[in-house]
Amino acid sequence: MKLFKKISAVALSMIMLISVTACNSSHSDSNNKNTTENTTSAFEIMSYFNEIGVSYPLTVTDQAGRTVTFDKAPEKIASSYYISTSLLIALGLTDKLVGIEAKANTRNIYKLAAPSAVNLPNMGTAKEFNTEACVAAAPDVVFLPMKLKKAADTLDELGIKAVVVNPEDQSLLKECITLAGKITNTYGRATALNNSIDTFLTSTKNDVADEKAPSVYLAGNSSVLSTAGSHMYQDTLLTNAGGKNVASELTDTYWANVSYEQILTWNPEYIIIAADASYSVDDVLNDANLANCTAIKNKNVVKLPNDTEAWDSPVPGSFLGSIYIAHILHPDKITKDFYESCVTEFYKNFYGFTPSK
Amino acid sequence: MLKITNYKNKIIFLSVIWILLLIAVSIWSVFTGQYPLTIKGLLDGDKMMLMVFFRLRLPRVIMGIIGGFGLSIAGYVYQLVFKNPLASPDIAGVSSGASAGAAFAIVAVSASAPFISICAFAGGLIALSITLLTAYAVPGKNKYTIILTGIAIHSVAQTILMFLKLAADPEKQLASIEYWIMGSLNGISIDSIAIPFFITFIGFFIILLLYRQILILSINEDEAASLGVNVTIFRFIILITATLIVSSIICVTGLISFIGLIAPHIARLLTGRNDRFTYISSGFAGTIIMTLSDIFARSLSSSELPVSIFTSVIGAPLLIILLIKSNKKEDL
Repeated sequence: MKLFKKISAVALSMIMLISVTACNSSHSDSNNKNTTENTTSAFEIMSYFNEIGVSYPLTVTDQAGRTVTFDKAPEKIASSYYISTSLLIALGLTDKLVGIEAKANTRNIYKLAAPSAVNLPNMGTAKEFNTEACVAAAPDVVFLPMKLKKAADTLDELGIKAVVVNPEDQSLLKECITLAGKITNTYGRATALNNSIDTFLTSTKNDVADEKAPSVYLAGNSSVLSTAGSHMYQDTLLTNAGGKNVASELTDTYWANVSYEQILTWNPEYIIIAADASYSVDDVLNDANLANCTAIKNKNVVKLPNDTEAWDSPVPGSFLGSIYIAHILHPDKITKDFYESCVTEFYKNFYGFTPSK
Repeated sequence: MLKITNYKNKIIFLSVIWILLLIAVSIWSVFTGQYPLTIKGLLDGDKMMLMVFFRLRLPRVIMGIIGGFGLSIAGYVYQLVFKNPLASPDIAGVSSGASAGAAFAIVAVSASAPFISICAFAGGLIALSITLLTAYAVPGKNKYTIILTGIAIHSVAQTILMFLKLAADPEKQLASIEYWIMGSLNGISIDSIAIPFFITFIGFFIILLLYRQILILSINEDEAASLGVNVTIFRFIILITATLIVSSIICVTGLISFIGLIAPHIARLLTGRNDRFTYISSGFAGTIIMTLSDIFARSLSSSELPVSIFTSVIGAPLLIILLIKSNKKEDL
């Protein structure tokens, strides 16, 4: 009953958001009426946005400040960044993908949502872009991470339109989703995606707003001694979940290495391990150097789920990481049922598959 | 300014300086760190402080001392045996082999610290074994054969390392490899110092015992042979001892650059000789540079910085100052 109330509340919030958006769009009133009448779940609302069109030629400014003009909606799309690839799948563009980043077969989300994408030509990694493979794939647009800004300029010279994305915090992720939506003529779906994320995050944040924020140490992928400071997306993940990042004093823009002493000084109440970490919860619980840490003594060590995708990276589904952490930190406020239904609804509606529980 | 003409007095003077400096930097190091340790808290038996002190802080200080000492005496031996001022344990491909071993552990198996240490140690030993075996299989061998073979093995190990970096996941494994290569005493605890301590301790005495033979080898190989020194066997024993010391240290700390190269020069500039005291002084110089570097690496920011940044920053100006001073003396 509680879960039903919560989902209904979120659904109502979304309907309000839709109303606001619809006022500014070219959508007819009859469509809005249908939206309200047919809604059974918050996420289902997204389907009613699909008809918002984009007019071309379209000029956009990417997240590196570069201006790119599109004469028509791209039919062939490449992505050299797992975050933009996941976003393109969420926007329903799997069939238009002609190339994605290296090591695609290691990402569960592709196997679950877009199995055909795994075998697409390899565009290289975030460090080494494969320009020739990209030229051979002849995409109408290629999405690149900020690290490959130079490659974007090279592609421009070769006549391939490149768009640099940099979703390093929640607002940049939202901007990135909107940008990709406009370019690929899926603006309606992108708006729905953004609204879904906003609504569920706001709901979660409101639910835990009055709770005491426990101190949390987020352990990185490579080692328990690597962590994320305030300039990283992972800090937002913890804050949204009603937690306090003990490493927020760090200003590194990449995973920072700290000492055992530093962790003991921070003495976090919880240790959350990154989804793709190469070590386990037991490794941390059994680490004698951390034995006196409160999180270890209370066995408050959890690893972010990685059966779909790493929610500690700024993929569209990363808000689910906040909901998961909120459930760990405030189980009375964010129930397991709510978290699980969010995951199921999100992937069912935007990625077309139902994750196993 | 105090001028010491008698070499015995110089030895006494320098010994006192080394010991005082070592005590000073060790105390500084013991009371530097992210956890606020106090003498009162330790004496009152604060459980957390005692744990931090005995399990983390003290082992780290000891590892700094062992690491600096071991890398420097190994570098000293290499420079002496090869009569090359630029010689360092890298010549036999040990560091590259250890890096490839660590990268293999991170990419192929697990990023757990003990496993990385085992693979790095194995990588260093494999590189050394191949270098020595290949060098001794070459007809008309001499000390340059080892240098050339070492360069070849170093290149092969670098290629393997590059391949492993290429295969590594850029989001997690690549960062681990890069950070390991930069070197740090960050993850040192009481569990990780026993092997480097014993190998460095035993290696130090083996080299000290064979010091006369090392000196003879460094003068002239033919003369050494005529004096009854088995050049091939002794060179093998000396190099394998020095390399084992280096492998045992870097498998725990990651690569630490410059100390093995710079500390022997500092010691030689201070004593003006190539004797046993210079050998020991080289170890002290390395220990002090390493401990100071680690103090800065862990205290300049909340996150840990690679120790190699500071070994170069501290060591290079020190060497330049000593070089200028010694040149001035020669001019006079």
